[in-house]
Amino acid sequence: MMNDPELEELFSDPADRAVVDLLKTSRPAAPPLDPHFHNYLRARLMTEARRTLAARASHGWFPFSLSLKTLAPAMAAVAAGFLVVVGVEIYLHGQTGGPQVACDCAGLTNKTNVGTGEPIVIPFTGPVDKTAVAESVVIEPATSVTKQWVGQNLVIIPDHPLAPNTSYSVTFKPLAKPTPTPAPNPLVRQTPTPAPSPVVVHFTTVRPPVTPIVPPSYKSASVAYGYDSRLADSGTILSATWTPAGQILATRPAGQHGPGSPSATASTTPSPTPAGPPALTATTDVWLMSSLGTPIRILVPGGSLPAAAPSGGLIAAWQIAAGNQANLGVWDLQGVLQATLVTLSGVPDRAPVWIGQDRIAYVAQGRLHVVDLRGTQASGIALGVQQGRLAASPTSPRLAVEGTDGSVVLDLGTTGSTRLLTTGASGFAWSSKGDLAFFVPQRASTDLYVGDGQSFQKVATSPVGQSWSDLSWGPDATSLLLATTATNGSGVGPSLLLVNRDGTNPTAFGPPSTEYASPQWSPSGDLVLFTRRDEAGGRAFWTATATPSANDSAANQALAEVAKFMLARINGDGAAAQAELDDAGLAAYQAGASSLLGPAGSHFSRYYPVTVQPSGSKPNAFLVGVRIFSGKNGVDMSFFEEQLTVVALSQQLSPAPQAQRYLIDAVSASPAMLLGHGPTVVSVEVVQTPPGQQVRVHFDADLKPETVSSDTIQVKDADGRVVDAHVSFDADNHLATIAVKLRPGTYQLVVTTSVTDINGNAVAQEYDAPLVIGR
Amino acid sequence: MPEFEERDLVERAKQDPDAFGVLYDRYFPQIYRFAYSRVRDQSLAEDVTSEVFFKALRNIKRYTYSGHPFSSWLYQITLNAVADHYRGLHGEVDLEEGASLPSTAPAVVDEVVRRDRSRRIWAAIDQLPRQQRAAMVLKFNEDRKIEEIAHILGKSSGAVKLLLHRGVERLRKELPQLEAELT
Repeated sequence: MMNDPELEELFSDPADRAVVDLLKTSRPAAPPLDPHFHNYLRARLMTEARRTLAARASHGWFPFSLSLKTLAPAMAAVAAGFLVVVGVEIYLHGQTGGPQVACDCAGLTNKTNVGTGEPIVIPFTGPVDKTAVAESVVIEPATSVTKQWVGQNLVIIPDHPLAPNTSYSVTFKPLAKPTPTPAPNPLVRQTPTPAPSPVVVHFTTVRPPVTPIVPPSYKSASVAYGYDSRLADSGTILSATWTPAGQILATRPAGQHGPGSPSATASTTPSPTPAGPPALTATTDVWLMSSLGTPIRILVPGGSLPAAAPSGGLIAAWQIAAGNQANLGVWDLQGVLQATLVTLSGVPDRAPVWIGQDRIAYVAQGRLHVVDLRGTQASGIALGVQQGRLAASPTSPRLAVEGTDGSVVLDLGTTGSTRLLTTGASGFAWSSKGDLAFFVPQRASTDLYVGDGQSFQKVATSPVGQSWSDLSWGPDATSLLLATTATNGSGVGPSLLLVNRDGTNPTAFGPPSTEYASPQWSPSGDLVLFTRRDEAGGRAFWTATATPSANDSAANQALAEVAKFMLARINGDGAAAQAELDDAGLAAYQAGASSLLGPAGSHFSRYYPVTVQPSGSKPNAFLVGVRIFSGKNGVDMSFFEEQLTVVALSQQLSPAPQAQRYLIDAVSASPAMLLGHGPTVVSVEVVQTPPGQQVRVHFDADLKPETVSSDTIQVKDADGRVVDAHVSFDADNHLATIAVKLRPGTYQLVVTTSVTDINGNAVAQEYDAPLVIGR
Repeated sequence: MPEFEERDLVERAKQDPDAFGVLYDRYFPQIYRFAYSRVRDQSLAEDVTSEVFFKALRNIKRYTYSGHPFSSWLYQITLNAVADHYRGLHGEVDLEEGASLPSTAPAVVDEVVRRDRSRRIWAAIDQLPRQQRAAMVLKFNEDRKIEEIAHILGKSSGAVKLLLHRGVERLRKELPQLEAELT
């Protein structure tokens, strides 16, 4: 009887124990669940909760105290808390001008934490012309979606994840006007029937828990286990992995419910269906799911073991074919087959591995193979592999392979070199910065090695009696999560550990347990995906939030000061805002460098930090870019950006920077930009990718790819000269990546008005942002 | 979730809708699963689950920590909601000793001939009396401790042990083919 002393004590008869064992190992099938029911009920509950709980709450609109420790996480609440919730009574005309039908949008209207990967559910209270209503929907910023009806709920599924931190509007264009009744008397002048107004629902997407900022402001080594949530019942997800956009690719048993599944019957609006019928013997499908476990769509019928391309736009997976064969294929995230690369006998037992954007490694018949996206096999690779692991570097064409004759790092670039690793090296994981970590098992413990791909050193050893496995790097490459297992069967000890890159500070991640394994950090660092064993031996996938430490760095301290400053401004409290300025900062605002409390006739509604960078010129000084929104009636109307220079009161480097007091010393502001007039930049991120850098520019809208190029997005040096750059575009993530080689200094990112969304709307005004490259 | 975090979250949920939303996200899967295990009908399970969470929302300010997980309270509400549903259908039936609740699950005899051992034994559990079935589901599907089940069902731990014992014994007796296979 597995791990349950209560049952051990209760049942001593072997026949009873046999029944109990069967019960413990055979869970009932997962109940059928409408994938949208969870969101639908949540929307209704939250509407009721806001009506009842919030109204009776004794505190004000801002539920946090203003201690420095809480300011950083409270910033999100500031941004969210100021959007005014308005009651919504939305009526759409019936088909023949009969009774009007209400759209119950209160659960969505002005909601400020809408998930970026979640379907949007809009309930209706009565029958409507579903096709007409679905066709009338317009979403701004421009977003391509699939629409389905589930009962009286219109479910809008974005084809790509929505942009974070972004105000969206869903507009129902007026439907057919009621036919005017002929005037009985032509001499009597009829009052014209007013044209129905479009119905608009506004909402704002969540702010990423980890702001897209330049390290060291976010340190994965300082996070704590937050709230956990089971993705699905054990047995209903067989494998799971993150996409770069923070959604989940899952292998699920065939026949699971969800949009696009053969069992989904509620849809009346045609939707794109995944390519091709499943093979007759298919037992699994590959699904795209949200981080909450909501099935979004089947990507590969009959597929298994998917792997997301580093850019996020494509996946590779195995798909079962006739004659007990399997195809290695590439699909986009709509489930459209892009290429079939290889056909093998039997279904492989491990996922293919992407090497950059255009090559895939896999193991077949005990040999390593590499194939490009045209199906051309790489020659000259003669490496035996049995059960060993493969892992590809995200920053260079290097592949770590646990081969039958030893573990090696293959350079698949120009050098073609092979580097032999420490004997027994296994469990490889590459960081976002190109570091490689692996384990070397010892008799009674496990050694952890970390290196740059060329040289490695042992950084930690597990306690005797514990073995380590399942490495996963934090997205900032400063720490690792791993699973630890007692080898003596005692089951003692936590099972997930957080370890610094240098092997120091091993810390339990999660409550003490022996149930957790296979941690995978989400790309944004806000969630950890892992498996958890239940008492019956089943294995379910869970996620846990990774809560960042509030003040673990000087940058966060500076951010907290900015949060305090912004809170005062949003509150219209000029005195409190001025208290966060030093003499130079106050003079800058008084001289008109920017408006402290907003231009006349409007008020600041919310803000979020876009960038945090070391200033490059002063110790303990940071350049914080903030985006500030002005709104009316709870709807964001425009925004502008400020670059705030935040300096420590003492300019000396402090051994305890978190104890420093920071003030705002200088400010520069961009012109105001109107929202709803073309795509805008959501965030800018600089990532070191030796020997150069990547400047990653996220947009809020689906863009026309042909308008994103080195002519329309540029990096300029201090003299205004355009820097040589290669611009690539990931349409699925609204992400333009500019690959550059920049020396330390200050540069300017320029996004021109030639960039347009899928509807042809251009960026309203040129967007400029400073880039500081440190040493 | 550690106990202290759950208690903190529940306290916040008494005033903060978003905290209530976190509770909902956390407990929705198991409450829906438990509701479905009791009513065996998707639409009914949705109704019961809705009722549970709306009742929880209306009454959360009165919730006080009793040494048991918050989920125990939700399970209690679920049981009451299911009972209310069947009272509405059938009047004040004696659910405690009633043969079994109406079920859309196939009869045991039909199930036994099927190859799926898991489905067979869980279909058999569907035929147990209400309290036995609740105890069996909470123990074997929801992995609850006996003390927590006792709290949910409003019984002593000894009574729950008896329910589990009777449930297992009855499975042995009512599934001769299965028993033969097992022993």
